[in-house]
This record gives sequence, structure tokens and C-alpha cells, in this order.
Amino acid sequence: MAAYVIRRLWQMVPTLFGVVLLVFVLFKFFGGDPAEILGGLNATPQQVDAIREQLGLNKPWWVQLGIFLKQIATFDWGKSWATNESVANLFATRLPATLTVMTPILLLDTLLAIPVALGVAYVRGSLTDRALTIATTVALSISFLVYVIIGQYVFGFQLGWFPVQGWSDSTWTNLVTYVPLPLLLAVAVGVSPQIRLYRSFFLDELGQDYVRTARAKGLGEGPVLFKHVLRNAMIPILTNVGLALPGIFVGSFLIEVFFSIPGLGREVLLAVNRSDYPVIQAVTVYLAVLTMLINLATDLLYKVVDPRVTLK
Amino acid sequence: MNNAGPVPALERSEGVWHAAWRRFKGDRLGMVSMAIVLAFLLLIAAAAVGLVAKHWQQEVGVPNAPPTLMGPAPPEATGAIEQPKGPNVDISDIDPLAPKYKEWAERAKQYQTADTVKAETLPLGGDRLGRDVLSKVVKGSQISVFVGVLAAVVATLIGTLLGALAGFFGGKVGDFLEWLYNVFTAIPDILLIFAFAAVFGRGIGTVVVILGLVGWTSLYRQVRAEFIKHRTREYVRAAEAIGASTTSRMFRHILPNVSHVILVRMSLMVVGFIKSEVILSYLGLGVPVDQVSWGTMLADAQGELILGYWWQLAAATAFMATFLIAFSLAADAWRDALDPKLRGIE
Amino acid sequence: MAGLLSIQDLKVAFRMGQRNGVVQRAEAVGRGAVGVSFDVAENQTVALVGESGSGKSVTAMSIVNLLPDNAERSGRVLWRGQDLLQADRPTLRALRGREIACVFQDPMSSLNPVFSVGEQLIEPLVTHLGLKPRAALARAEQLLVEVGIPEPTRRLKAYPHELSGGQQQRVMIAMALACEPKLLIADEPTTALDVTIQRQIIELLAKLRASHGLSVLFISHDLALVGEIADQVVVMRQGTVREQGSAAQIFNDPKDAYTRALLACRPSLAEHNPARLMVIDDHIAGRSAHGAAHAKNPDAPVLLEVKALAKSFWLKEGLFGKREFKAVRDVNFRLRRGHTLGVVGESGSGKTTMGLTLLRLHEPTEGEVLFDGRNLLTLRDAERQAMRRRIQIVFQNPYASLNPRFTIGQTLVEPMTIHGIGGDLTEREQRARELLGKVGLDDRAFGKYPHEFSGGQRQRIAIARCLTLNPEVLVLDEAVSALDVSVQAQVLNLLRDLQDELGLAYIFISHDLAVVRFISDEVLVMKDGEVVEQASAETILRAPQQEYTRKLIGAVPRGWTPAAV
Repeated sequence: MAAYVIRRLWQMVPTLFGVVLLVFVLFKFFGGDPAEILGGLNATPQQVDAIREQLGLNKPWWVQLGIFLKQIATFDWGKSWATNESVANLFATRLPATLTVMTPILLLDTLLAIPVALGVAYVRGSLTDRALTIATTVALSISFLVYVIIGQYVFGFQLGWFPVQGWSDSTWTNLVTYVPLPLLLAVAVGVSPQIRLYRSFFLDELGQDYVRTARAKGLGEGPVLFKHVLRNAMIPILTNVGLALPGIFVGSFLIEVFFSIPGLGREVLLAVNRSDYPVIQAVTVYLAVLTMLINLATDLLYKVVDPRVTLK
Repeated sequence: MNNAGPVPALERSEGVWHAAWRRFKGDRLGMVSMAIVLAFLLLIAAAAVGLVAKHWQQEVGVPNAPPTLMGPAPPEATGAIEQPKGPNVDISDIDPLAPKYKEWAERAKQYQTADTVKAETLPLGGDRLGRDVLSKVVKGSQISVFVGVLAAVVATLIGTLLGALAGFFGGKVGDFLEWLYNVFTAIPDILLIFAFAAVFGRGIGTVVVILGLVGWTSLYRQVRAEFIKHRTREYVRAAEAIGASTTSRMFRHILPNVSHVILVRMSLMVVGFIKSEVILSYLGLGVPVDQVSWGTMLADAQGELILGYWWQLAAATAFMATFLIAFSLAADAWRDALDPKLRGIE
Repeated sequence: MAGLLSIQDLKVAFRMGQRNGVVQRAEAVGRGAVGVSFDVAENQTVALVGESGSGKSVTAMSIVNLLPDNAERSGRVLWRGQDLLQADRPTLRALRGREIACVFQDPMSSLNPVFSVGEQLIEPLVTHLGLKPRAALARAEQLLVEVGIPEPTRRLKAYPHELSGGQQQRVMIAMALACEPKLLIADEPTTALDVTIQRQIIELLAKLRASHGLSVLFISHDLALVGEIADQVVVMRQGTVREQGSAAQIFNDPKDAYTRALLACRPSLAEHNPARLMVIDDHIAGRSAHGAAHAKNPDAPVLLEVKALAKSFWLKEGLFGKREFKAVRDVNFRLRRGHTLGVVGESGSGKTTMGLTLLRLHEPTEGEVLFDGRNLLTLRDAERQAMRRRIQIVFQNPYASLNPRFTIGQTLVEPMTIHGIGGDLTEREQRARELLGKVGLDDRAFGKYPHEFSGGQRQRIAIARCLTLNPEVLVLDEAVSALDVSVQAQVLNLLRDLQDELGLAYIFISHDLAVVRFISDEVLVMKDGEVVEQASAETILRAPQQEYTRKLIGAVPRGWTPAAV
């Protein structure tokens, strides 16, 4: 096991280097001149040159790459070009908000989707299947934007059940007051593709030989589905959740923008609009690291869920 | 060898696509959906060449003109200030411009102004500048669908080529491509899109490139898996045994057997990319300011809704939903027709 | 003997969807008005024999309704007087695993991969007998001992993938016997196993049958196997029963033409080597077998000489290590023109890898293959391409060896185009058509797709594809193993004819000793990558030198013999 973890960590290095390279090349060769951006519209050429000197932009590119790598290793990203806030601080303050919103969404999505998908698989009538397919297709064809716009308007503005926007400093208040509306909207949209996906997992398993054996032993449809099929289907479900996990850190930036939640997603969006390169670069690289670590954790979890997996 | 009698004509039996088409024809929902999609494509083609919705930018209506069915908006209350009655006070003795009025009136008569009469109502309503929502939504359909489809094509080409190379050759080539895949998938999609958008800016071409560069990974995975599966299949081994070249084996033999997988994934991509474009345009990262897409319309719509003007939101949503539903259902029907095993037994 | 199971006029059809509003059905068991009927008494082994598509599996699965949702059954299935077709779900569930138990063909997929052996074994015990888990585990351990699994305590915690195929099947049998059922339905239980393991499982089943007083409904395509173990035999073809009777009667005095043909067209180890195998249609039409095979010229020129051929694969291990897996070691032989070398072995013996290496579909690790004095293994580019014309291969799986997207015509013309045979397209198409005729197929096949043909026909097309290049050596990698017995006979006859006519040399790889003996002049026996014994076909069979060869020969089912009553 330890050998496996070490090997995986070792294999992450080239990937991480690739990500760094990608971000570096992207911003260096395709992005605007940082000196000009920082200088602002009214900067004189001398001022721009001074900034350029300061940022070390006149040095050869491999030196700059080296500086970039050093920054990553020491977690020193300097300051946001727009707000002058240290990027590290940015992470620390924005991340909790994102997690407060996204974690319940992910949890509720999965916990709702599994029973519903199981139920649909249990019934397995062609009519319910068809109805479900069409219902999910319709639900998915309407942009999430529309749901939020209308949802905010109806539930917040007209009916006044939830606040239209806002955030507070207390996690509890957030969870109780500000999270429900975004949670409701996000789950309403996100749950239908999950149901469809999980249903296909369950149906795949139902077609396997071991299900026939279970029936031949005299087990009823209940134990067949809830014990045998579910246990096997947990494997692809786990993969799916593992893939979705890194996404929650950037959060649904849309939700954060609409509901004025000071999370990481909204921060990144603001940074994009303001050409605030340090923020975008930092978030990208660190999230890449996080994604790789989550993948490793998922793979390790596989061993628990699927006995056939040998980690070498 | 032939038996006695005339040489029988070469019987061409149906291949996979013909059989699928025959099965597809029997699926009524699929046929209807396909018809809707084709109708949309025709409309889009007409918009592209300028037959319809050419003048969507013109402000032909009063601001926020309601849809024709609803009737014109009631005149606004002008507020608390009352219009004073009685004739205007003559101030020509202290007015410094007074002598000039006559001259200007003479000069003005020489100019012809085409005073467009702004319509009180428009078929689907007007936006806040008085532009015709119907024209906007048709033109927007063209842009949004075009971007979605083109991005899907780009992503499909990249994903298929790289997936084929990685799956067929394995070894060093496969390792390098896996590394590339890992790099691109280590960064969450939205973030990658944002990073590209920050750097490349706005524009239709840019959006296509961004979505294509971010979206190739899922197809790559699938194509690679399929090529790995097929490269040890006997018919490919047999092709190698008779001396077929590597490219022949990859693209003449294996690719046609994988094409249905690719097409299914591509149709999913079209839907996904259209939705992505809408969101990007809404956020101001997508199509440029002088273009209209479903996303820009939704961006307008949010502010309008509070004021009670719902028609732009309705139009954009209706067109988008109709197209995506029809497209998804048609794609589902094609997938079922191509693989009868997947079809539920009735 | 009291009647246990009585199947009366059973018909099963599958709903296949609708076309133009009419529900389409595929008949699996029963044709038209004629259904399937037979009985199983207590303490009796009844065998359902038939080729693929005969409906034997569907018949067995319909007894306790283990069929898919779109199956429709009619008729009567009487279990101790109760009609199971009318029984409700709870009744059926109570019967399954308790009084009627099943063992299936592929044990690897029939066991749930995520639960341990113990967890799966105790399920019927807990469900039907109401045992507490601990008591159930103890009983499960006893069952494992009874089916001959070593170290049962440890095995209880093992997962299915950690067991070998034979052990997995023993576990399935243990699971089936857990609640002491009256009837065991065994659906091709040994088809997926090696012939030596098959022998063990059959003996186990016989032992258990005697000790538990079971009845067994044994489904198989292998008449010889069935002859050894069955009391009653029911022969099915295309959904109907052709003949049924005691094993002695079926083997000694078969009444139905199909049964006779089935018995006759299988190559057997015991008989004198005929020139051609009987084919079903021949038999039904009343044609007789041809004379004995003519002797081969022992001094024919040596086409292929293989020296010290070896192939290894490298597997990753540990943190950075690699392990060598020797799939083929030190194979030597000579192949003469017009002769056939048979290569026999079980799974994992390396025989297929050896065949593929000869064609350089795997690159060899060591050794020489001399073709006309030139070493095939070191040829490059143009010479290698030219070599491909002279040695060709026919694969095992007829459903995977033809590109599903190519028409037959395209498949046949492609090799000619690559090697520049024939002046233009018309000539090539003409030649392709001639070859189709030579392998016994209609000209119209030219424009059709592979899915329109049966397995046997596809193999013929594959053979025709090889012949387009005028090869001198043909490697046949389990080329008839996936075919039904009667179709097998046709293809084997075709191969014989082609060899006589064109002077082809064959390397015939198979696990089936009887077939190898029919077609080969010399035989190579392989085990774990090595050649265990090498001699003429007659010598191998009459006087095998090695222990393993003897074991192989002994494991082959012999059919019904008077002594086994």
C-alpha cells in the first residue's frame, strides 16, 4: 500500500509540472502584458518599464519559469493586482464560503439521486423509463441561468421565502438562511442527470450473471437490488462522486455571483474580468494539486469498495 | 460458382447505417425531434446568409415594447410634476438665441429626416433598447448553435485523433498523451475555461477554441478505451496478418467500428457546449458586445424581470429549450437505433 | 420412481419489440403448436443435449423463471404436482435455492465479485433455513469440504477472483447444495473449463449425486460427456425435442436422423481415422462415409523449420520492478508440405501465443523460424510483407475475425489490393468470387455483411480471405472450437479438401484432442509454455509417454459405455 502511494505521488510530479507549464505558457505568451495591466490605463511608458523591471519580466523565460516554480513551492503568490490583497489570504477567506454552499449541494444531490435511481430501476417499466428520460431531457435543456433567474424572482422577490442575496459571518446563519435557496435550485437542476446516470449503473448491474445467481438462490427482488446490485454499483458511483469533488472548490460560480456569496468561484470570475493574473494562476495550480490528491484518495477508497482491485 | 441460369445481380445488403435509419424511422418521437432540429438548422442557415433577422440591431420599437398579443404598454404616469396650462411665456427679449430660431427653422426644412415611427408592440416584444426580440432570438440561435456545433467538432477531432493514437500505440506515445490528458483534467473544467478566457478575451472564434480545448478530454478517454479494445480483436489481427498498414488498420478498420460511440458523445457535447456558451456570454466572457446570443439575451433578461418585462427571457428560454430538447431526443433516438441492445424491450 | 418434475408442452417466446404496431416474437422453445415435454424422476440424471439455438438453456431456465422480463411461457411445468407456470412470485422464490438449485456456465461472472465466498454461501442458508450467520458459516465450511476445496476456513474469506475456474465452480456447486435441494439444474457447468478440470467436476457431481440422492438436469452440447453421466437423454434441435430415451438406447439405437447424425459427425478417439467426418445433412440424406484417409508423403519437402522459439512478456511488479512471464519456451518442430502439425494444450499452455509469434503478430524473444531457409523473424519491411503472403492465420472467434463494417467482398479484396494480386478491381472481385465458391459459399455473399452469416460460414470466409494470397502454410488457431459439432465437421472436411487440392501445410492449434487427432499427422503437446511430448498422431494416442499426455487423453469424454450403468 505504501509503495503504491509513493509511486502515485511520484507520478504526480510530471503532471504537476505540466500544469505549471501550461499556466505559465498560457499567461506569458497569450496573455496581455502584465506591466501594462498593472500600470493601468494612464501609466506613462516609464512607469510601465519600471513595473516590468520590478516583476522581472525582462529576464529570460526560463528564469521566469524558475521564479514561478519557486512561488508555487513557497505558497508566495504576492498580491492580487486588483485588490492588493495577498493571494494566500484570498484563499483562506473565500474557500469556507464556497464549501458551505457546495458541500450540502453535493451531498444532497448524491443522497437524493441514489434512492430515486434505485426506485426507477426497481420498477423498470418502459413507461416510467420513457417518462424519466423525457423529464430529465427537458430539465437539462433549460439553462441553469434561467432556473436561477426565475427562482430568485419567484422565491426571493415575489414570495419572500428566502432572501434574494446575502451572506453573513456565521456559518450557522449561512446554512439556515442563505444556503437554502441556492441549494434548492442547484439540486433541482443537478439531480436529474445524476438520476439518469445512476439508473444506467443500476441497469448495467441488473444485467449481470451474478444477479441471476442471486435470484436462483431464492432471494427476493429487494435483497437483489439493495444488497447485490447497490454494492456493485457503488463502484461507478464512487468514481462519479470522486470526479465531481474537485469541482466543488471552484463552486458553482454562477450561484456565488447570483447570490452574492463571497466564495472562490466568484473571486476567480472577478479576477478574470480584471485580468488579475496572480489570482487565476494560483487558484489553477492549487486546484490542480487538490484534484490529483482527491484522485489518489478515490483510488485508495476503491480498494475498500472493490476487492478485485490490486494496487501495485 | 454460379449455377445454371442468368448471373444474379449483386445483392447489396444494408450496412449498419441503413439498418439504423430503418429503425429510426419507426420511432415517432425521434422523427418529430429530428424534424424540429432540421427546421432550426434551416432557420439558422437563413439567418447566417442574412435572409432573416438581418437588422436585429435596429431599434424598431419603443423601449421594452410588449409582445403583440399583449397590446401596447399603457402610457407611463409622468410623475408628480404637473404640466402647467396656458400658453408659453414669451421670453424672446431676454433669450440670446431668439434671433437665430428663424434661421435654423429655415435650414432645418432643407434636411429630410426619416422619422421612424417606433412600433408600440413587436411580435415577441422588444428589449430595453427597443430591438425586436424575435430577430434577436433568431440571430442568437444562429450564434449559439453555431458556436456549440463548431466547438463540438473541434473537440471531437482533437479527442478522436489523440485517443486513436494513444489507444492503438500505447507505449511512449500513449504515456505522453496520458500525461497531456492528466494535465488538462487536473484543472477543473470551469477553471480552465476561465483561465483561457482571461487570456484570450472575447469573441466567437475564441469561445470555439476555448470550449474545444477544454472539452476534448472525455472523448479522448472513450476513444482510447475503444481502440485498446479493438486493437487486439481478431479482425484487426487478421488485417495485420494480411499486411495492412498501421494507418489502414487504425482508420479504415477500427474507426468505422467506433464511429457510433464518437457520434453519441459528440451530440452530448453539442448540448453541453451550447449551454456553456450561454453561460459564458452571460458572464461577459463569450461572444463580443456587438453580437447577440441566447446568453446575452439572458443577461439582459435578469434586469428586465424585476421591472416586469418577461418577454426576452421567455423567448430566449423557449428557443433554447426547444432546440436542445429536440436535439437530445433525436440523438437519443439515433443511439437507440444504432444499438438495438440498448433499446428497452416493449 | 416417483415423478419429480414434469414438463408438458412448454413453449417460450421472447417479445422483441414492435414493428408497424405488431408485437414481434422470437420462438426459443417450441415451434408452432409443438412444445417441449419430458420428465425428471427422483434420483435421476436427465441430460438436455443440443447445439446452440436448440433452446435447451431456455427450457431449463424457464422451470423456475430465471428468464428475462420479455419472456412469455405457456404449457405446464409440474413440480411435484404443482404447476410452476401458474405459481406466484413468493412460491417460486421459496422453491429457488431450496428445492431446485442452479449451477451456471461461467462461474467467474455468476459469483458476485464484491462479496466473499462465505458471504455468498450463507445467503441461501439464512434466507431459506433461517440460520444465524455464525451457524450458517459453519455449515458453509462443511459444504466447502464436501466439494473438495482445500483450506476451507481461509477460502471462506476469499473473493471469487482469487479462486481458479475449477474452484469457483465448486463454490457454485456448494452454494447450490446448501439447502439440500431435490433437483440440481446444471447449465453447461463444465463448458468454460479445461478438459482436465472438467473431468474433476463431473466426478464431483456424480459423487454428490449419489450421496445426496439428487436429481440432476444436465444441459450440454457435448454428447460424449452426456453419455458418461446421464440416465435419460433428451435431444433438442431448434426448439423441439427430436428424441428422448435412456442413455443406452440413444447411443446404441438412435431412432431420429438428427441424433444419429450428432453421434456420427463427432471425431472420436476410439475409432479408426476416417477421411471425412459425417455431416448432419449427409447423414439425414442417407449418404455414407467415405473411405479411409490416404497416407501422406513422408518425404515431402520441409516448408517450415522452427528452432528454439521463445516468447516472454514483461509484467510490472512492485515499485519499479518487472517480472518475466515466459509464455512460450523452446519450441522446435518441422512442418512438411501437405502435412498437418497439431498443437494441443489447455488454457495457459502458450499454444496460441506460439501460433501468433510464427506470424510475428507477437514479436518473438528468441529463436528462429526458417521458411525456405530464410529466418522469418529477422525479415524487415518489403521482405516481411512478402512473407505475409506465404503464411496465414485463421482465428478462433468467427464473430470477431471479420470487420463488421466491411462487406464480404471488401474483406476478400483487401489483401489482394495490399499485395497487388490481380491486375485491377474486376480481376480481384472475380478471384474473390471464385474463392467463395471454393469454400462452399454462394456468390451472393459478396455484397453482404458478416452479421448475416452463421459462425461456420464466417470461418469459411476467413479461410477464403487467407486463400486470396495463395499461402503455403495456414495456422489454424482454435479455428473450429467455437463451432457446433455439425458445423465443425463441415469446416474440418473443407480443410481436408483444401489441403489435398492445394498442398497446404497446417498448424492446427486446439484444446480438443479428438479433433486434433482427426486432422493431424504429427502432434505437439504443450503445457505452461513447454512442449511436453512430440510424436506422430497415432503414437501420441496409442502410446503416450508423458504423465500429462495420459491425463489429457483420459480426461476426454468417451460417450456411453456399457460398463457405466
